[in-house]
Amino acid sequence: MNRTVKSTLWVLVAISLLILTSFSYTSTNDLVNPEKAKKIHMIAKMGHGDYWNAVKMGAEVAAKEYNVNLVFKAPNNENDVGEQIKMMGESIKQRPDAIILSASDYMALAQVTDEAAYYNVPVLSMDAEVASAKVETYIGANNYEAGQKAAERMIELTGTDSQIAIVNFVKGARNADQREEGLLDYVARYPGIKVVDIRYSDSDQRIASQLTKDILISHPDIDGIIALNAEASVGVGREVKNMGKGGKVKVIAFDNPPENMDLLQEGVVQALVVQNPFNNGYLAVQLAVEASEGKHIPDRVDTGIKLIDLDNMLWPENQKLLFPFVK
Amino acid sequence: MNKAEPCSPTRRLRMLIAQVMNRIRLRSIQFIITISFMVITILVVLIVSLMLYNKFSKTAEENAYLNIQQIIEQVNSNLENYVNGMIDIYEVVEDQIDKSPTISSPILAEQLRAILKSREDLKSIALYTRKGDLVLNIPSLMMRKNTRLEQQSWFEAAIQRPKELTFSSPHIENLFKGQYSWVVSQSRQIKYADKSGRKQDGVLLVDVNFKTIDEISKKVSLGKKGYIYIIDSLGNIVYHPQQQLIYAGLKYENLEQVLSYSYGSYVDHSTGESRLITIKTVEPIGWKVVGVAYTDEILTTKQDLNQFIFWVLVVVILLVLLISIYMSAKISRPIKMLEKSVKKVEQGDFNTRINVKGAYEVEQLSHQFNLMIGRIGQLMDQIIYEQEAKRKSELDVLQSQINPHFLYNTLNSVIRFAQREKKEEVITMINSLSKFFRISLSKGKNIITVQDELEHVRNYLVIQNMRYKNKFQYKIEAEEKALSCLTLKLILQPIVENAIVHGIEMMADEGFIHISVNIVGDKLLFQVTDNGLGMSEETMQQLLTGHLKSEHGSSVGVKNVHERIRLYYGDEYGLQFESELEEGTTVCIWIPAVYEDEGGGVT
Repeated sequence: MNRTVKSTLWVLVAISLLILTSFSYTSTNDLVNPEKAKKIHMIAKMGHGDYWNAVKMGAEVAAKEYNVNLVFKAPNNENDVGEQIKMMGESIKQRPDAIILSASDYMALAQVTDEAAYYNVPVLSMDAEVASAKVETYIGANNYEAGQKAAERMIELTGTDSQIAIVNFVKGARNADQREEGLLDYVARYPGIKVVDIRYSDSDQRIASQLTKDILISHPDIDGIIALNAEASVGVGREVKNMGKGGKVKVIAFDNPPENMDLLQEGVVQALVVQNPFNNGYLAVQLAVEASEGKHIPDRVDTGIKLIDLDNMLWPENQKLLFPFVK
Repeated sequence: MNKAEPCSPTRRLRMLIAQVMNRIRLRSIQFIITISFMVITILVVLIVSLMLYNKFSKTAEENAYLNIQQIIEQVNSNLENYVNGMIDIYEVVEDQIDKSPTISSPILAEQLRAILKSREDLKSIALYTRKGDLVLNIPSLMMRKNTRLEQQSWFEAAIQRPKELTFSSPHIENLFKGQYSWVVSQSRQIKYADKSGRKQDGVLLVDVNFKTIDEISKKVSLGKKGYIYIIDSLGNIVYHPQQQLIYAGLKYENLEQVLSYSYGSYVDHSTGESRLITIKTVEPIGWKVVGVAYTDEILTTKQDLNQFIFWVLVVVILLVLLISIYMSAKISRPIKMLEKSVKKVEQGDFNTRINVKGAYEVEQLSHQFNLMIGRIGQLMDQIIYEQEAKRKSELDVLQSQINPHFLYNTLNSVIRFAQREKKEEVITMINSLSKFFRISLSKGKNIITVQDELEHVRNYLVIQNMRYKNKFQYKIEAEEKALSCLTLKLILQPIVENAIVHGIEMMADEGFIHISVNIVGDKLLFQVTDNGLGMSEETMQQLLTGHLKSEHGSSVGVKNVHERIRLYYGDEYGLQFESELEEGTTVCIWIPAVYEDEGGGVT
């Protein structure tokens, strides 16, 4: 009697062990730990235009790849600094894992950036820097060099004895200022070059056109116009073409919206200084993820600039840069 | 002192191990069964699971590889079909142009428009002169300036290899106003009839967008992370799930190695992860379909299997441990009980009885053991009894050697003869008595020759005959061979004494005692026959069991002889009686025939 009880007990122990182990096996297998999606806010200067669309596209590709919940915010106009500050404030309140900021104004956005850092929200600068030491990194082109390249090509085209005008976008924006600075510094080497006018288009194609018209009328002998961003470029090119000055007034433009490419092929625009907006967006999100995880990220990521003209626009690597592969 | 200190922990450890070993008792049945059972089972399970693991993982891996290969082949054949379809379309277009009497015919334009409309992935059809001037384009869009089409690869290829239909690498179509878009161009030099109907050489361009290629490739996935991509023969990426990232330089594929294969697969480590690259070439145009599968995904089945087998092993080992401990305990417990019982027996307790239940063999063993113990007890008792009996009979012999009663009677007779001055009788009697005692004692030997025994009984008869005043006659006969046989001494005298006292003394007539010795087979037979009163059957029985009460007490001697013979020679020997009342008695004494020379050792 006693012995049978004992043996049944053993069997019970064995069976329970078996069940236990099989359970633990399945439970460890089925236990999936879904990584929480990162929340990253990207605050751009403007919500439309080809340049910003490309940035946004890059950012979205990276967001998908790195499981990021991306919030893209931007004012309607690049000069709407107040709105951008407000957006920063709202984002900080939501405590995202990181904020990517393309500051419309170098100084004006500094305070709110420091505030983000105070709340331990890492801020990454993209496209244009902000006057804060708390920024994790800067992702974008070397704008000073971009300005210099534009000036260099312009002087090659017009010669060292000419009049040129500049159509910039927003005064106070770091990239606008740096491009202008680089350009003027380069031009300063040539005493024969006169910069007859510097105008700000507020990244509005129509304003840029209007400004171009003014310049062309008030300086009929002008040799060239340099436009310092995509919107300004389109406005300038369009107006130069409309006024029948295509090819006579040399135009150096910025970035690669399709209209710029059209103008380049038509010979209205002689060269384009092209940044890499897709990469800016992509790398900004990628680095924001790394920064939010506390990883060390480089202080500056230069996504490069390229000077594109008719001769090299069809080079395979330039085709890839200039024409996004949209499916 | 210092040297001893580091020693002590190791010594303690060694002692501990020794204690544990003692506890386990390495050679105990339980331990041996447990260990061997476990070792065998675990070995078998290990071998079986290893074999299964190898087999399964191999199959799983092969299946995965095969699966990937099949997917790639499928994509490849889809692409081939697609490309062949495109070639067909190109040839149809070429045919239409060739048939048309003039290139400016509106019918031709209509036909080409219809072809273009029929397929979503056809971007444009255009015909150029060998100098690069536009002849015809569908849809009829404005040409851009500065197209530099003469430098574009599709045009160059058509001029350099006029007969060959070439597929260009993916490139931007920059010829017509409207959107810039990525296309693959088919081109060849063809003949067409110009406006005036003259045949001219021209370059026909059919641009194809990526719609269908993307559709063919997009749905394909190799595991969660795996994907496929397509490159052309120069390594330009035609399709890639992350095409823009690759074009932007943010992602890379290690194309160098891919380009060196036309068919096959290899494992690539260039991205830091182990990836299985499978390559198949799209025959008509030299494109390559490249499958990228992540090895860790392929091997998930292997890892699952690994884990599963590990747990099975753990469970089996635990189960085997439990079962073997239980089994061995069950087997060894009865044996241990047996061992305990045997120890008790060893200590002298022959009353121990084992009642062990368990395996059949052990039950049998305990049963046999019980029988054996019983038998040993019996034998022990018997030995004790026999030893006692032997000692008693030896005492009796000693007593009969001297027999004071007989000596007293004889000496009385001698005195009577001496008083009557019967000198001869005195001499004869003393002489016989002396011989009688000499043989009685015979230097303490137990065994004497038959001759001596007969001599002994003769002297006894001489003395008795003289005492009983020739009341009986006697005769002693012996086979010559029997004389030299050996016998236990003093076996005849008590029989003869019995014959005289009970058979002849009471008789009115003259008595006769006949003693004979014969060899019967391998036995020696003494026969003592008298013609006395005889005995009843009952008396004969009682003679041997010693229950007969007699005033003379000589029956004790008869029984003693019987027992001595049986003790000495075994139960098959001893006395036999044949008697009839008033007729006489014959006593047969059976002993083995042992000759003096061969039985010399027997004392």
